[in-house]
Order: sequence, then C-alpha cells, then structure tokens
Amino acid sequence: MADIELGTNNPAAHAVHGLKRYVFVWLALLAGTVLTVVTGRMDLGEANIIIALAIATTKATLVVLFFMHLYDAGGVNRLVFVVSVLFVLVLLAGVFGDLMARLPVSLPNGGPVAPVEMHGGAGHEGPAASPEHP
Amino acid sequence: MSSSEGHAHAARPPRWYHAHHFDNIETQNHAVRLGMWLFLGTEVLLFAGLFLGYTVYRWLYPQTFHLASRHLDLSLGTLNTVILITSSFTVVLGYNAIQRGNSKACVRWLAVTILCALGFLVVKSFEYRHKFHEGMLPGKFYSYEGLQLPGANIFYAVYFLATGLHAFHVIVGMSILAWVMFRVKKGLYNAEYHVPVELGGLYWHLVDLIWIFLFPLLYLI
Repeated sequence: MADIELGTNNPAAHAVHGLKRYVFVWLALLAGTVLTVVTGRMDLGEANIIIALAIATTKATLVVLFFMHLYDAGGVNRLVFVVSVLFVLVLLAGVFGDLMARLPVSLPNGGPVAPVEMHGGAGHEGPAASPEHP
Repeated sequence: MSSSEGHAHAARPPRWYHAHHFDNIETQNHAVRLGMWLFLGTEVLLFAGLFLGYTVYRWLYPQTFHLASRHLDLSLGTLNTVILITSSFTVVLGYNAIQRGNSKACVRWLAVTILCALGFLVVKSFEYRHKFHEGMLPGKFYSYEGLQLPGANIFYAVYFLATGLHAFHVIVGMSILAWVMFRVKKGLYNAEYHVPVELGGLYWHLVDLIWIFLFPLLYLI
C-alpha cells in the first residue's frame, strides 16, 4: 500500500471523516422533515410552496455536500451536478415562458382558474381529513 | 476468507482492480466518480420531466392539486421519508466503515440500508393498495367519490408516475447495494479499493434526493 500516493496533491482522494458530521447531517435532515410536515399543515397560502421548496432544497444540499461528498470532491464532479440542476431550471423556465405567453383559451382547461366554487370548496375538506385504510 | 472461495477469486492477481490504462488507482477512481456523476446528472434530468409535468398541471389546476394532496396519507409519507433519510445515513456509515477497512461493519450497515429499502417498499405498497381500492387512479380509471374535480385524475397520474418511477429506482438501488454487500462480504474491497461501495451509495443518495422533493410536492402542498 505504501507505493500508492494518497492525499495531498490528489483531489480525487476522499478524506475519511469522523462519524460526528454524518450524525449531525442525519439529525438535521430529520429536523427538516419535521419542519416540512409542520409548516405544510399550516395554511399559509402561497408561502406554503416557497417554504416547502426552501426546506427541500436545504435538505438536498446537505445530502449532496456531505453524504455524497461533493464537499470533498474535485471541481469537475461539482460542475457536472451543478450544470444538470441548471438545465432543469432552464427547462422549467422555457416551458413556463411558453405557458404564460399563451392565450387562456389555448390551454386545456381555459387557464389556471380554480373551478372549485361550483362544488363548494369548504365541503371538500371533510373527506380529506380521513384517509383511512381498508 | 479467500481460501474457501474457489478458483474464481483465488486467481485474482494483487491489485486486480487497477486497470492498466490508468496511471494509478487514484486517477482511475477519479474517472469512475466522474462517470457516476454524469450518470446521476442524466437521472436528475429524467425526473425533471416528471417534476415539470407536475408543475405545469399544478399551475393549470391549483385548487385540485391542493385538495388532492390532502387525500394522500401524510403519516405514511412521513414515515417513508424518515426511512429513506435514515437509509441514506446508514449507507454512508457503510462507506465510512470500508474506508477504514472494516468490511464486517460495512456489510452490517449495507444490510440495514437494504432493510430500510424493503420497509419503504412495503409502506408504499400499502399506500398503493389503498388508492387502488378507493379508485384514486390515473386518467379514465379515476373513480374516487371524495374528490370530483377536473384535474384530479391528472394529479393521480403524476402521483403514480413519479412515485412509481421512484419505487423502481428503490428496487434498482436495493439490488445494487445487495450486489455490493455480497462483494464486500467476499473480501473484495478494502481500505485502498472500495469505489463500488461509494458509487452504490451515490446512487442510493440520489433515490433519497428525489424523494426529498417528491414528498412535500405530492403530500403537503
């Protein structure tokens, strides 16, 4: 094993970490899950989506950096992943640019209109609370 | 452990894992990792299509998607999130163990991870069974009385496609980890060479990563 140069000048060699950081990340991810469920259950309107996505992004970043060791990795591997996420955002932006530029009549349901009034919106909260099992 | 293994591995030369076209093992590991990250990039883009579908139809049917998410079982979804996060933690502990050359501990942690994966699938199958029973199904098969709104069948189409593709990844990841675990048990990996354990772990983390986004989008908002 002595004939192999590990470490110093080699970005591809991963450091062996103590268990502490993994336990910490795990606990942070569990806390994030609790936070997601608690805030998700509150009725905060539009803010719900933003909070949920912010927590999910934070959790994902923790996983990528510390569980997947991108924190220790060399530049190329970081670049690959960041670029793929970037292209996801390009895809979303392109499709939404198209959707928003359309006339409502050209959309499948005549645009994003909530059709819930004719059914009485409040009445649907009833069965929602009882997801029983067979 | 290698004496009773038979001819297949007895014939392995020392440093068999070092392919001759790489200068040294670290260059090889670097190339292998880059390949894995490229593959993970394509996986992200594969799921991006489904996330895009979700976003578009959520924009078209905001009220329906909001109400339909209330009809999923939040406690089972949360349980599965905890299971997957914990399995990501145990797989990284397995990787850490083999980095230190402790293949026994590595096998143990990989086994825990595979059990978590099985648990995830069992919980998911309960959820699916309930939805089949209630008629919360995609497209024309939708027959659920509790939520009769335009777009509800689309929500369940997205739900089944996204969670179904994810469950398929769970099965694949589980198989990869089982294969890796088998090879660790054979003593093929050590402190110097264990990149397959790392890559199997990376795949498993991706499965966790996808679920981290699927869970709030489908179950909560």
